[in-house]
Amino acid sequence: GQNGTAQKQFKKFESYKRDNQLPLRVKDMIVWVDTKASTVILPIMGRPVPFHINTIKSVSKSDEGEYTHLRFNFLAPGQGVGRKDDQPFEDPQAHFIRSLTVRSKDTDRLADVAAQITELRKSLSRREQEKKELED
Amino acid sequence: FTTMETFENIYLDLSKQSGKCRFAESGLGWKPSGGGDTFTLDAGQIDGAQWSRASKGHELKILSRNVGVIQLDGFEQEDFDRASKCFRIWYGVNLENREHALRGWNWGKAEFGKAELAFNVQNRPAFEIPYSEISNTNLAGKNEVAVEFNLGAEPTTNGMNGHKEGSTRNRGRKAAAGRDELVEMRFYIPGTVAKKEKTEDADSGAD
Repeated sequence: GQNGTAQKQFKKFESYKRDNQLPLRVKDMIVWVDTKASTVILPIMGRPVPFHINTIKSVSKSDEGEYTHLRFNFLAPGQGVGRKDDQPFEDPQAHFIRSLTVRSKDTDRLADVAAQITELRKSLSRREQEKKELED
Repeated sequence: FTTMETFENIYLDLSKQSGKCRFAESGLGWKPSGGGDTFTLDAGQIDGAQWSRASKGHELKILSRNVGVIQLDGFEQEDFDRASKCFRIWYGVNLENREHALRGWNWGKAEFGKAELAFNVQNRPAFEIPYSEISNTNLAGKNEVAVEFNLGAEPTTNGMNGHKEGSTRNRGRKAAAGRDELVEMRFYIPGTVAKKEKTEDADSGAD
């Protein structure tokens, strides 16, 4: 191609097509892992905002007093690592959400969210590995 | 056409309790079902209105002239016709049906509107942040902007602690309205220059 980057095709993963596919639990305005859709839903100003598991680089948990903090680190340019073929890292126009931090007094629930995300990422990379092996 | 339209089980600005929402020619009112102060907004304050899917159901978002963004959540999809009629006839405002991005992408475009910051994915907003909810912004590094949210301990009552008349309890603390509170968000925005400088938002009023 000419300069290649602008025409680059990204793997277009999609969490949901319509809002009636959102899980019922979004009404509680809590962080929710929808395993079936490989998606984490974060409540932002009263809106359920999906983030596909492919966008999440890591999740870190820390306890501060009566609150547990959960920080979601997303894949974004300038971090060295990442599945760059999935995302428009070379697009000079693109803005990224780099991280998002929530806190809650529900320590056990947030620990559970972190564990579910780790499990989801593991099973997805296992599946990708299998696919690669089948293609060889 | 009636002189008043009433909707039940509506949440105002992410309130914990639902209430009754009424529209009339003079403006709108919201009354918490468990008792408490009624919130009112004059018709002349209404600049624009949007209809979107939110957490409790459908949301009617009002862009007001002087008191920022007002969010009314908990409407049924079927309420749209009745609500849009109120806005068209009484307030001369088109209730705009605004679909949000559900792709799950973390890239798009941050756009700074009059009252809120919107993050758009393929020309659809993924979410919006009213400026009233931001306590601090900070250039955290090269191409990185950190946005911190108001997490005031307790909601303040109308007219108290510097809250303007016509304000609601959760104005300026929507990030802390749920069990999971939004603390901080960081954006990668190419072209921003790193500076070790903080800008305090004097308008927060939450503390």
